[in-house]
Amino acid sequence: MDAMQISRSGLDVEWQRLQVIAENLANVNTSRTAGGEPYRAMRLLSGPKASFDAAVKGKETTLAPQAVQVLGIEPEGTGVRRVYDPNDPQAGADGFVTYPAIDHAGEMTLMIQTSRAYEADLAALNMAHQMYARALDLGKQS
Amino acid sequence: MIPVAPIAPVASGPAILQLGGIPPGAAQPPTSGPAFGDILSAGMKSVETKLSTADDLVRQFALDDSVPVHKVTYALEQARLSVELAMQVRARLVEGYRDLMNMQL
Repeated sequence: MDAMQISRSGLDVEWQRLQVIAENLANVNTSRTAGGEPYRAMRLLSGPKASFDAAVKGKETTLAPQAVQVLGIEPEGTGVRRVYDPNDPQAGADGFVTYPAIDHAGEMTLMIQTSRAYEADLAALNMAHQMYARALDLGKQS
Repeated sequence: MIPVAPIAPVASGPAILQLGGIPPGAAQPPTSGPAFGDILSAGMKSVETKLSTADDLVRQFALDDSVPVHKVTYALEQARLSVELAMQVRARLVEGYRDLMNMQL
């Protein structure tokens, strides 16, 4: 696969990861979701893009470099944060409101990591682009 | 990118010896692989599709910003690169033609 296309798939994945982190941060004070469950911090899972054929045959490693893809978005296994606030409309019978236990520092670290990975993808894309442009200059006269 | 088939040699043997007489391979042109014109027009078609995809993405991006911006810039860059490649091919063609036309006999 083309190096530029691989870098582009990485850009796509990091873009979506940032969206998931933004969702987590935006839902810090969400006491319940539409389904009635407490909100849980989400994580984006990504992995190399393997063809269905190769997966069936059990061939994990292929010689050709592969692009990356989003495998899914799964809730994190962290618990919930319970706050005693009987005046809140969302409070239960015992007067507690359930908030997601989102680790702020962890989310921030992940966000910086995501932004750096995006940057690295852009650097690789630029390098591939430069190599292509140099190859176009091959044999150029004047 | 469209894979470019290697150009078959026109005639075997040193070309300098065949310039005076009729080259033995000239009567029947080599028919292996697609003709150069076909390759050229296929390349131009791919340039055009890339341009139109980039155009579509720009329009889509202007209408609704859920399209990631790197998709748009990537498509634009791909289109630019393929146009540049086409320009290089054209420059080489014209250069070769001019060289032949300016040959002093």
